[in-house]
Amino acid sequence: MIRTYAIVILAVLALVAIVAGLGPRADEFTKQDLERWDKEYMTVVNAGRTLWTSPALGTNGVACAQCHPNAANTHPETYPKFQQQLGKVIALRTMINWCIQQPLEGKPLEMDDPRLVALEAYVAWERKGVPMAPGKH
Amino acid sequence: MMRCTHVLAAAILLAAAPIVSTGAGGSPPLGLPALEAPAGNPQTPEKIALGERLFNDKRFSATGTVACANCHDKAKAFTDSPLRVSEGIRKLNGTRNAPTVVNSAYFTRVFWDGRSPDLEDQSLHPFVNPVEMGLTNHDPILKIVRTDPGYVKAFEQVFGKTGNAVTMKEVTRAIAAFERTIISGDSPFDRFYFGGDVNALTAAQKRGFDLFVNKGRCVSCHNIEQTQALFTDNRFHNIGVGINSIQADVPRLAGEVLKAQATAAEVDVKVLSDKKTSELGRFMITRGLDDLGSFKTPTLRNIAVTAPYMHDGSLATLREVMVHYNNGGVTREGDHVNDFLSGGIRPLNLTDQEIDDLVTFMEALTSPAYAAPAKRAAGARQEVRR
Amino acid sequence: MTSTTRRDFIRTTGAIAAAGALPLSLVEMAFGDTARNFTFAYISDAHIQHISATKFVRNWDRGLIRAVAETNLLVPKPDFVVFGGDLAQLGSKAELDHGAEMLAKLGFQTRCVMGEHDYYLDLGEYWSNLFGPQHYSWDHKGVHFVVLNSVLTYDDWTFKRWPTAEQRMLEMAGLDNPNGSPFMVGEAQRAWLGKDLAAVTKDTPIVVFSHSPLQKIYKGWNFWTKDADEVQAILKPYSKVNVIYGHVHQIQYNQIGDIAFNSVMATAWPWPYPQSYAQAQQTLPKLTVQMNRADPFFERDATGWQFIDVNTGRVAMKYNLYNNTNRIVAFDAVTGRPVDKAFQDPSNRIPPQDHY
Repeated sequence: MIRTYAIVILAVLALVAIVAGLGPRADEFTKQDLERWDKEYMTVVNAGRTLWTSPALGTNGVACAQCHPNAANTHPETYPKFQQQLGKVIALRTMINWCIQQPLEGKPLEMDDPRLVALEAYVAWERKGVPMAPGKH
Repeated sequence: MMRCTHVLAAAILLAAAPIVSTGAGGSPPLGLPALEAPAGNPQTPEKIALGERLFNDKRFSATGTVACANCHDKAKAFTDSPLRVSEGIRKLNGTRNAPTVVNSAYFTRVFWDGRSPDLEDQSLHPFVNPVEMGLTNHDPILKIVRTDPGYVKAFEQVFGKTGNAVTMKEVTRAIAAFERTIISGDSPFDRFYFGGDVNALTAAQKRGFDLFVNKGRCVSCHNIEQTQALFTDNRFHNIGVGINSIQADVPRLAGEVLKAQATAAEVDVKVLSDKKTSELGRFMITRGLDDLGSFKTPTLRNIAVTAPYMHDGSLATLREVMVHYNNGGVTREGDHVNDFLSGGIRPLNLTDQEIDDLVTFMEALTSPAYAAPAKRAAGARQEVRR
Repeated sequence: MTSTTRRDFIRTTGAIAAAGALPLSLVEMAFGDTARNFTFAYISDAHIQHISATKFVRNWDRGLIRAVAETNLLVPKPDFVVFGGDLAQLGSKAELDHGAEMLAKLGFQTRCVMGEHDYYLDLGEYWSNLFGPQHYSWDHKGVHFVVLNSVLTYDDWTFKRWPTAEQRMLEMAGLDNPNGSPFMVGEAQRAWLGKDLAAVTKDTPIVVFSHSPLQKIYKGWNFWTKDADEVQAILKPYSKVNVIYGHVHQIQYNQIGDIAFNSVMATAWPWPYPQSYAQAQQTLPKLTVQMNRADPFFERDATGWQFIDVNTGRVAMKYNLYNNTNRIVAFDAVTGRPVDKAFQDPSNRIPPQDHY
């Protein structure tokens, strides 16, 4: 009985608070926020594109773009997936590191390296609109 | 609840399909996938016992001294370690190193060059190879199995056949059934990776495992997967062993192979007798340029106890093997790399420490059943190091 | 070989080809006068890439080494070899010399086609020193062969746009570079082609070697020849024209009128099919059964070279691929277009041919 009363009172108070503009709110962001964030995002995508065409990721002068023009054939929509070359299920960034280490004969990047994020961002951006296909080989 | 389900599942599987297993409750050894016997050759205890007898029978040779077990000796993890190439009758030498029978049931093609499609076909050939058992044909074997009282009884019990109805088909099926029981996993690596025992590998072995998957580039051919590890991809690759010594002869030898219309039996004889041509590997069977100098990826299970290494036994230790790979497919650094080298082989730039770590990782692939020879081998290596 | 052995070979090669193991000997078909049957080998897109001093990218080097070594093993021997362009990656003397050194091991006469990676550093000057004219023709066993330099582009882009030759080469070197410029044969060469073909009878088989596709496939990656229509119009009057082109690093084939188009593989590395670029609007000739996907662990996977059968004035391309099923794309007289011998029927496709 008392519990029911308490709930009702709290609900009324919450309603009043919301109406008065003092209660909990959903996250608010404006059109300007969206535009600014999109620009921020694109700087990383563009950094990724620069890395994509750069011979500096590896040691033999080969760039990602040589085999993957416009990041084609990278299939970000399929990750995580069982990667045959490694014999286990991995995320995309592990495969990016594999490519840096193997065809590009370079040193793999740390998992939290901003370059790795940039590369992933570029790969995904070139693949936008493609439905998820997790696990597809 | 879980164990009941496992046993039930295993019972259903056993009833439904002839699954070979040596693990408890009907499951394969830790680290290995379930092995199914072919539909035409189901496993039975009597067939397996018969196969073991045949496997060990020295009478099936021209001199009465050579059985399968000579080159595939149980005490040596079913090889003839430390022989480089095998010795048949009269100590005649072939050109190839005897592969282990252990886990050979998981291969999709048999022999170093894959010239046999299955275990049943494989055992036909050594009996009639001049440098192995040296028989002219299989008749002496058939005579024995059709008249020896023990065999007569066994073949009747296993196959329901007597007299001339007993053929090499029955003989090879029994041998294959026995070979399908020679599987083993549960190595320290298996316990670490599939069994969740973080202490099963030493720190050096864990470093070696990481190298195996990444910088060492081993795992793409010596497969380890999410729930099991065969350590072979069942494919054929030219990694620059053997063929390097015949590089100048390749055009002539390849031309001869292409022009000849060799039969399977002729190929079997030639690969063990003509050393130079035998280095062409799987090309002799498929005549595909892609297969020039290529040989099957062997399993690395129990590799520490099955020295020496490679199809010609030319590398004595695992360290020598690693140096060959580190050099990018030549045994001596600076040697000319053969034109047909697999695209998967290239210089690795491993440090000495990294090579040591990879070697010690491979030593963790020995199953308990074969660990005793491993201790002996390790002891021998210690001797050499001093 | 006696004619009996030839017939045996036809039986065997049919079976083996179906099984995916390509025999070195060739299927011979009626050409009326069988002495006119012949084959030639085609190696292309080696992209020899200089790193520093005497160091080159080992991966691409190995591709050319292997193609040359295997071509030398061919039984029976091809009549000649064609190199389809992009011997170098950035057109440098070091790259062209290193590539020429490897090609010199071929035991056959070699004819070379210009690629954009050879051209845009010095407009083919050093290349011509090594290999001769950039467009030419010759006759062989009743077939008229033409080589075009089909990687030219607008004069403005070539001569005015870039401050240095090195910069110009770098800009053209990026396949997906938005600063690139479309390939073309150009008015001068088209005029030359018209004159060259004037002396050729309408039913003489013609084979045109070109680096760019002489079609319009996907502009974004310069799988494109801007004046393809004009060039095809010059070729239209002839009843048996075959265009063989490089540049795309993948198996493609198409039929436009009486002209059969066939691409060649690269020895260096494979490229994705344009369909797999989600943001592109493009068409791939529908006739193509795509090559098997590459496993990037095996450096030669989805690369290869080819030998070409010329019979009845039409070509059969026999692709020699590594770690991959060999393929035969042959002109089918019944349907009048190139057809993949094993996989044209969709029900015969295998999983590795699924590109997405």
